[in-house]
Amino acid sequence: MKKKLATVLLSGMLLLSACASNSNNDAGGTNEEASGGGNAKAGASEVTVWAWDPNFNIKALNIAADLYKKDHPDFKLNIVENAQEDVVQKLNTSLGAGTTKGLPNIVLIEDYRSQSFLQAFPDMFHELTGTFKAEDFAQYKIGPTSVDGKNYGLPFDSGVTGLFVRTDYLEQAGYKVADLQNLTWDDFIEIGKKVKEATGKPMISLDPNDLGIIRIMIQTAGSWYMDKDGKAPYLVGNEALKEAFDVYKRIMEADIVKPHSDWSQFLANFNSGEVASVPTGNWINASIKAEASQSGKWAVVPIPKLASQPDTVNASNLGGSSWYVLNVDGKETAADFLASTFGANVDFYQQLVTDIGAIGTYSPASSGAAYEAADPFYGNQKTIADFAKWTDSIPRVNYGSSTYAIEDVLVVEMQNFLSGKAIDDVLKDAQQQAEAQMQ
Amino acid sequence: MKRYFEKFKYHGLFLKMFIILVVSIIAVSVSVSWTTIRISERLFINTFSITNGKVIGQIKSGFESLNTAIVTAVNNIQQSGTVKQFLTEGGGSSLALSKTYYNMNKQMKQIAYNVDAFEIDISVTGANGRVYATNRANWPIADEALKREPMTAAAKAQPRRLLYQYSDGLENENGEREPIIAATKALMERSSGKIYGVMYLVMKESQFKRYYESYTSEGNHVVVLSNDGVIVSSDREELIGQRAPDLLAHALDIEKREIDYKDARFMDKDNIMLADYLSFYDMHVVNLIDKQWALGQLIDTKSIVLICIAIVGVALIIVFLIFRRLTRSLTRLVKQISNISKYDFHHYVAVSGSFETRQLAHAFNFMLDELHVYVEELVKTQKKQRNAELAALQRQINPHFLYNTLASIKIMVQRGSREKAADTINALISLLQNAIGNVSETVSIEQELDNLKSYVFINQVRYGERIKVNYFVAPDCMEAQVPKLIIQPFIENAFFHAFNAKQEGYIYVLVAQEGGDLVCEIADNGDGMELGDGSKLPKASSSRQLFTGIGVSNVNDRLKLLYGESYGIAITSEPEQGTQVRIRLPFQREPEDNTSFQQSS
Repeated sequence: MKKKLATVLLSGMLLLSACASNSNNDAGGTNEEASGGGNAKAGASEVTVWAWDPNFNIKALNIAADLYKKDHPDFKLNIVENAQEDVVQKLNTSLGAGTTKGLPNIVLIEDYRSQSFLQAFPDMFHELTGTFKAEDFAQYKIGPTSVDGKNYGLPFDSGVTGLFVRTDYLEQAGYKVADLQNLTWDDFIEIGKKVKEATGKPMISLDPNDLGIIRIMIQTAGSWYMDKDGKAPYLVGNEALKEAFDVYKRIMEADIVKPHSDWSQFLANFNSGEVASVPTGNWINASIKAEASQSGKWAVVPIPKLASQPDTVNASNLGGSSWYVLNVDGKETAADFLASTFGANVDFYQQLVTDIGAIGTYSPASSGAAYEAADPFYGNQKTIADFAKWTDSIPRVNYGSSTYAIEDVLVVEMQNFLSGKAIDDVLKDAQQQAEAQMQ
Repeated sequence: MKRYFEKFKYHGLFLKMFIILVVSIIAVSVSVSWTTIRISERLFINTFSITNGKVIGQIKSGFESLNTAIVTAVNNIQQSGTVKQFLTEGGGSSLALSKTYYNMNKQMKQIAYNVDAFEIDISVTGANGRVYATNRANWPIADEALKREPMTAAAKAQPRRLLYQYSDGLENENGEREPIIAATKALMERSSGKIYGVMYLVMKESQFKRYYESYTSEGNHVVVLSNDGVIVSSDREELIGQRAPDLLAHALDIEKREIDYKDARFMDKDNIMLADYLSFYDMHVVNLIDKQWALGQLIDTKSIVLICIAIVGVALIIVFLIFRRLTRSLTRLVKQISNISKYDFHHYVAVSGSFETRQLAHAFNFMLDELHVYVEELVKTQKKQRNAELAALQRQINPHFLYNTLASIKIMVQRGSREKAADTINALISLLQNAIGNVSETVSIEQELDNLKSYVFINQVRYGERIKVNYFVAPDCMEAQVPKLIIQPFIENAFFHAFNAKQEGYIYVLVAQEGGDLVCEIADNGDGMELGDGSKLPKASSSRQLFTGIGVSNVNDRLKLLYGESYGIAITSEPEQGTQVRIRLPFQREPEDNTSFQQSS
């Protein structure tokens, strides 16, 4: 009996100690935390978008999503906000690696860059031809968003430019808004000198590392850094570019420039009343209006044009981007979402204008009531209508695939030019470097 | 109640052993699991502190490499003439300014390139009011606000030190703040000691976190603590920016005592805390492991308890069954044994149950058998002895009796009453024949009566017929067997003692059956006597007795020995009225040798 008892106890003890030591294994160590990256694992009715600028692009997306949800209650738009550089870098990394894993359904791409993606990775993008009427959109947007006549991008905002001016400063120098219509850049320099004389304020804020103003200038003449096919750099022999460089140098020499080194200083320069004009895209509208104390002191006039070029117009473009659908699961839903909002909905564009001041490039929408509204900030000027009007006359150019690569070269050469290097040498050297880089 | 107590009495053994076993099984399992858990906890905490100590080392070296990159960038900025020019020069023409801005941009891009991988934004502010920022994504602070930042003043106060400073960051449109950590240093002219600017290398706290985040998990947290007790960075975001002086005190204690780890209470939880000092940052990296969580990972209390309960339960069931089997048979045995009454040795116990109890029952039954054998042997021996005694006694016919009787006969012959003499001699012959000749134990009442008659006849011959004897015998009792000479001593007694005062009387001998027993009654109407407490007949020792050895006194003993306690003699006597002797015997028809102690097995 005693023996049996001992056996029972002993086996019990063994079992107990065995189970106590058993659970030792999963201790220690640290668990890796999965980070929430891009989530393309969207269901059929869930669409992921990458975009930047919460005040502009993301707001527009939210408006579109709300509209679309009315007809598609299951629809969910998952917006991932990334800086533009991050979007570009992530796209390059993923597409360059030949994978669409982790990529969104829809991505916003700046028009200057779109061709570089479309040409390098044609299979990665979902063709949108036929989902919307391309002829309803501003024609200068169709070039960057299509390849070989096939539409890949749905044009979004207009980068139509205008010259934002401080009417109060100009009046001090003896100018009225009416005097500023259809200027040339030469006129601009003269006015700038007068303004500085009268007010001590520089005419323009420029970042020496950003040649946006050059791009504005050459597009007024229907020219670009690249030839008509968008394949080769077109610097040597580009008269428009040559004149633009000259104008730039004369602006500098006129001593009417306040330099800035980044976006925030740029904004600060005009918000603080340090500069008298801002020649840039319409999208700056919101930032100018951010300084409410300057209400009534601003006006928008057509962008100056190059004086010596043929067929030059007082309309140009800076920036602007379009929506692209990537070739991943859910692309049909994504395409349908874009086509029925950004691609066809007039009311949507009216709402965009009233809510965000965003000007689209969808022509049927450019005549609604919202476009005709007068803006008290600009002395009751019908700015939207003006921008819409100018949008129609923006010369169509082929941005090609290497706008920024060439500009990097030009930024350096511009400094050389400013230091006294001859313009022909400057363009020749730039051409060589650009060609070397593109090979 | 009593029944329960009775039950308990018989199950007492089982209950006692079972309770002891239950208690000890539970005690053993609880103590063994407790000890094992304790040991594994200690082991676990030790291992944990070693691995996490290594982790801290790795975190530290990660931070050091970050610091190296930052220091390189800081040195580059400090040594750059372009930067100095940008921050010190006054106004200038647009062209000149453009050039300066361009060069500054170029220079800073180059410097920033080295820290790009760390996602550090570099800002510099100059004495001339100029600000340059490579990027403001991490900390979109306006130029003027940056100049007013407390960290600017702090950097200027200690111009030679690279300070790592924390800021809650700026509120964005959604009201969220993203905390930042900035490496700040004043830009100072070496020769004059004049401060011409401040640089800020700004990284988001989330970026800073990367150096330890992969080592953290649910209950395993890292906190980076500035030297004034502010939590600068943590994987627990709600802690960032809070003051934790107690944590700082613990960290300083750990670093001072150079211990591996320490138990610390933080946020109402017991933690194992490891800490190290990041000298470059003047910060402390603290690793907090939630003890409850960590040990919860190690020990699944619920399953241990369940397993323990299951094992104890199974053990108890097994023990219960085994014990029940063991004790039940034992209990039954005990019950049987205690039920056997004192003189009742015929109840054998049932042989069943376990081996032990079976053996016990066997032994008990065997003992009973032995006892029977011995008792029987004893009875037999006693009987034999008694018979031998009896035989011997029977043979000791009192010589006086013979002498007297013969003398009486001689007188009869001399007187010429030959008839009577011959009858007397016949009676004596019959008496002697019965007394000596018949050796069988019992005789029928008829024979006994013949003897009595012979004896009475001889006595009447000798002493005259003043005492008359009458016999009343139920006819059915004639065949009944009685021990030899069982009645004669009482007749004799009555003859010689009952009629001392009275000169004549009667003696009655009655034999009848009564309730299955045979009752012989000898009654006289003689003197009677006072019965003392002994109720014994007077001891007779006289020459008038037939036998010297057989007296009334031992008849009783004889009867009890032969038939048992319920049989024997009862005497009632009244002075002047007479004496009654009742002999009670079992009614037996056949003469037999052995009576009551028959072996039944």
